[in-house]
Amino acid sequence: MAETIKCPNCGEINPRGQAACKNCLTPLLSVTGELNEDAAIKPGQAPTKKDTAELEPILPQWLKDARDASRNANEADGESLQHAKQPSSASGEDLLGGLQAQTGADEEDEVPDWLASITGASPKPKEAEAETPGTRWVEMGGSDDFEKADDSETPSWLAGLQPTESQPNEKDELTGDWMRETSQPQESQPPEQIAPFDTSAGDTPDWLRQMAADAEAKSEDLNAETPQDAPELPLDAPDWLRGLGGAAEPAQNEESAGLSESGAGESEASLFSAEIPDWLKSPAPEERPLQDTTPPWLKNEMQGSKDSEPPSEPKQEAAPAQDDALGDLPDWLKAAAPQSSIFNHSEEQAEPESQAPSDTPDWTRTVAATETPSSDEPAPAFESASAFTPDAKANGSLEDLFTEMPDWLSAASDAPAPESAPPAAEDALTPSELPSWVQAMRPVEHAPAQPSSTGDESLESRGALAGLQGVLPAVPGFAPTSKPKTYSNKLQASDEQLAHAEILEQLLAAEAAPVPIESFSSLRTSRSLRWFLAFIMLGIVLFSLSLNTRIFSMPVGVPGEVRDAMLAAQSLPQNAPVLVAFDYEPSRAGELEAAAAPLLDQIILFSHPRLTLISTSQTGSMLAERFIAGPLADHYKNSGFTYLNLGYLPGGQMGIRAFAQNPAAISPLDMYLQPAWETAPLEGIASLPQFAALILITDNADAARAWVEQTESLRGDMPFLVVASSQAAPMIQPYHDSRQVDGMIPGLYGGALFEQYNAGRPGTARTYWDAYSLGMLAAMALTLGGGLWNLVANLRDRTLNREAK
Amino acid sequence: MVFSPDLISGVLGFLFTILILSYLIGDNPLFRAAVYIFVGVASGYAAAVIWWQVVVPRLLTPLLPAILTGSLAEKIFILVPLLGAGFILMKISPRLAGMARITMAFLVGVGAAVIIAGALIGTLIPQVEATINFFDPQAAAARNIGLAEALANGTIILVGTVTSLLYFHFGARPQADGSMRRFWLIEIIALAGRVFIGITLGVIFAGVYAAALTALIERISSLVNFLGNL
Amino acid sequence: MRVFTAVIAIAAGVIVLGGYFFPALTPVQTLLLNWAIILTGFAALVGIFNLIAVHTDKVRRAEKGSLYSALLVIALVATLIFGLILRPQHSFMQVALNGIILPVEAALMGLLSVSLLYAAIRLLRRRMDIMSVVFIITAVIIFLGSATLPFGDVPVIGTLIRPWVSQIWALGGARGLLIGVALGMLTTGLRVLFGADRPYGGN
Repeated sequence: MAETIKCPNCGEINPRGQAACKNCLTPLLSVTGELNEDAAIKPGQAPTKKDTAELEPILPQWLKDARDASRNANEADGESLQHAKQPSSASGEDLLGGLQAQTGADEEDEVPDWLASITGASPKPKEAEAETPGTRWVEMGGSDDFEKADDSETPSWLAGLQPTESQPNEKDELTGDWMRETSQPQESQPPEQIAPFDTSAGDTPDWLRQMAADAEAKSEDLNAETPQDAPELPLDAPDWLRGLGGAAEPAQNEESAGLSESGAGESEASLFSAEIPDWLKSPAPEERPLQDTTPPWLKNEMQGSKDSEPPSEPKQEAAPAQDDALGDLPDWLKAAAPQSSIFNHSEEQAEPESQAPSDTPDWTRTVAATETPSSDEPAPAFESASAFTPDAKANGSLEDLFTEMPDWLSAASDAPAPESAPPAAEDALTPSELPSWVQAMRPVEHAPAQPSSTGDESLESRGALAGLQGVLPAVPGFAPTSKPKTYSNKLQASDEQLAHAEILEQLLAAEAAPVPIESFSSLRTSRSLRWFLAFIMLGIVLFSLSLNTRIFSMPVGVPGEVRDAMLAAQSLPQNAPVLVAFDYEPSRAGELEAAAAPLLDQIILFSHPRLTLISTSQTGSMLAERFIAGPLADHYKNSGFTYLNLGYLPGGQMGIRAFAQNPAAISPLDMYLQPAWETAPLEGIASLPQFAALILITDNADAARAWVEQTESLRGDMPFLVVASSQAAPMIQPYHDSRQVDGMIPGLYGGALFEQYNAGRPGTARTYWDAYSLGMLAAMALTLGGGLWNLVANLRDRTLNREAK
Repeated sequence: MVFSPDLISGVLGFLFTILILSYLIGDNPLFRAAVYIFVGVASGYAAAVIWWQVVVPRLLTPLLPAILTGSLAEKIFILVPLLGAGFILMKISPRLAGMARITMAFLVGVGAAVIIAGALIGTLIPQVEATINFFDPQAAAARNIGLAEALANGTIILVGTVTSLLYFHFGARPQADGSMRRFWLIEIIALAGRVFIGITLGVIFAGVYAAALTALIERISSLVNFLGNL
Repeated sequence: MRVFTAVIAIAAGVIVLGGYFFPALTPVQTLLLNWAIILTGFAALVGIFNLIAVHTDKVRRAEKGSLYSALLVIALVATLIFGLILRPQHSFMQVALNGIILPVEAALMGLLSVSLLYAAIRLLRRRMDIMSVVFIITAVIIFLGSATLPFGDVPVIGTLIRPWVSQIWALGGARGLLIGVALGMLTTGLRVLFGADRPYGGN
């Protein structure tokens, strides 16, 4: 045993037991070397051969296919050289390019196509046929990927990363985040130990278990499957898979026109390529030299490291020969796959049928069996066992097995793996408990055949390299000096823009927020109060009217407007024409009849006027008839009183103005459609001023204003009396004050006053008066009491609210 | 048995009064039915009145004589409103509703002129004049009012008129703090105007209540009379 | 059409307005006013027929409250038919007026008395400011002053305060309101005559 150990990275001679190179700090101790110091395989020592035939059935179909493909690739080395310029990008840019060995010898249809294409359970099995490069590359890359990989120092999976770096930076924006995440961890993650391989079913992805099951089911056809049997991309494959397959076509078309392929495959691929998004097309590599598939960024890094660290002696140029064979195979797959010796024996010793239980996938059971020997150990074998060492790879026959593994696939297997601690002795497995292929993977003290052991043995923990060891040469300075620029998919906005956006959000929120109306909180109706008021009012009125009480005296004080109305009525000449306008609604008929009856009764009684009735409301003319037939019925029946009803005068103010200007022309007929102006009441009348008086009975201040305004310049000295409802009287009062209205009788109060000066005729006001007075007194009391109560309550509420605040 | 119109009117009046007053208990279908029937009857009655007292006497009755024996001017005078009425009837059709604008424009123009002249001649000038005349000693003497009383009352009316008018002046200026506020003098005047308007509205409110109370009394009285006459 | 209608409105308005100040235009003014009142009556008829159409449509669609609409349409059509046949002054139409229209309207007005009283009582609970306080005080004064006692008017309030308030204080406010209304109408009318406002659909 040598007392020193040469750094595989820089060549520095280090004393044995040194954990890391004193020059380049490259770890010198193998991660698996701690299993058992004595059991460690020494350089040149052949690994103990173990019977690993039992592992054969658990091999996934695609792994078996890959193995066969590698064999065939070796045989076709010479041929593949003819396709030296075939891009290896297919495997590089095609994330599933490494699955090219998934030939379609599978008969199972239950497996989804996309999964079948991964697991090798092709839904459209094809008979083995002569290998046509075209059919191969369409699905998984160039037909010479593996041959090219022989000469490549960079595995094809790494080539798949090349376009990402080789493209302009703006291409990164088109690249999905998942794509960037694929490369970043690989470049930034420190070397890690291999993650523990938890074989529990719960942590095993379903698709992985499905892969194992398929592999078991197809183990019988293992030997018959060759890479040449790789089926074309199924037509019913998912689009994303087609896109991936098609992504290789442009490179194929551009760089290897001589590559033959099936027409169907070509046409389909071209169709697919047309639908491929740019982000998938962009990674399509440009023409690359056959012998150098190292991505430019890798070269730059290498060059940079050379320039920056002259003492280092990168071994990248002296790539180990064994990597040629496994150059395209990710290490984690190598770690998961048996050694080539296992495959060699598998054909002879495999007993898949007998060892495959019906329910449990064999590979799961096998893994469990693998764990069984180490069940006594504190940790499973895989937790401490490193991946294949470079030497082990060299011994294997898995050359050209795979190109790469899609990132998502590796991430899936990598996800549950915690960061592994440095190997400890207690975690190691005894050699006797390890399968031979695992033993073959055990670390050796130095490379047996090649002087360089591929450099760094650090483990990759993330990305496509997860679980792989020694994939990237641990050249000092190899790690990228700077992290690739990341692009966020978040909106890039300045502070000012964000501030404006915040203001806009606040505005929108304020608009959308309901604003409570405070006044509504106190608008709840009190039904009990309403009923109480109704009871009071109805009770008062019913009591007074039913008993016909005469308790309350009639009003005494005569306001000026009433006094003026009395004077005007008394001054009417005998048999004078009087125009009476009935402009009120039926609802006020009771009030206005009681108010106007004394006036008209007095006029008729003392002046015997010739009344002409007119109305500006549709019901006014009939209310006039009702008035004549009601309060004035005694005169009409007994004293030969005559009148003329001109009926309805439409047009409001326009009608009043027109009638005031030329009444005979505007209302030539009475309501019976008889000529009006030839009758006795209108005898000698041709214009408005010829009337002795104008009496307006109205419940509407606007109607009164219309009559006042439109007859203002035409009335002359004609007295204008208004019998108004008490609700309209306050607004008519100014016209009386301005002498535009000569007298006014406001509502029942005015009627009661006038009635007293008319000898109590007709007595309607007196009949109503007690009820009216009681109602007004009740209103006064209720309003005053209730108002004070609510005033106090309001003040109390305010005080409470103020205190609450 | 012969039902006189008065008896039918009394029965219907009693029934509908009860239905309407039932609203004091609460809203109910009978109340609504009574109101809808009332609207229908009132509208039909108004339509009949318009037909018989507007259309027939003012349009149809003069139409035939004017066409047969009238002069050209008489024909035009009678045909123009007929044409205008036709335009208004086109308002029923959505496609021809635009033609009604001609008639409506005419009505609006005439109405605008009428209210302008009426407001100016009938209200603005007389009311302003009356406000001024309240301080006239001769006018006060004619009313048998003392000079002091006339001046006091005239001052109150003048202040009330001016402040009430200025209460509706809502012109405002922006303040330093961004708020809008009326001129301070306007604010003070508006406060006084608010008092006067409050008084006026209080009087109007009492008048409306008096009118409503009288209507209630009339209805209850009719019920009592109807029941007493049974 | 817009210009045409505007011209019609302005021309008619100017002629009618001129008739107030220029006696020479009075005959034309009367003619135009006569046309206007005829057309106003027609417009009212169209409005009533529109009411029929609206409620008939509601009945046809069986919308909520269509039963009430049916009652309305039936009452309207029946009254109209009888009115057209019998004329408004017929005793049957007087029954409609005295038995339905007047009782319903008066009863509704009677209901208003209770509602107004309720509102007056609750006013200071909802809103307490100087106008509300003055409003209630004035109403109470008028209530009390409008009533009488068995021996006559309510002393002071009924004989002095009430007339003073309603004829002097309220007169000032009412006059201010009237002048304000007149100014508003004047402005509105002038805008129509100037063509600034075209409520007849001329934009």
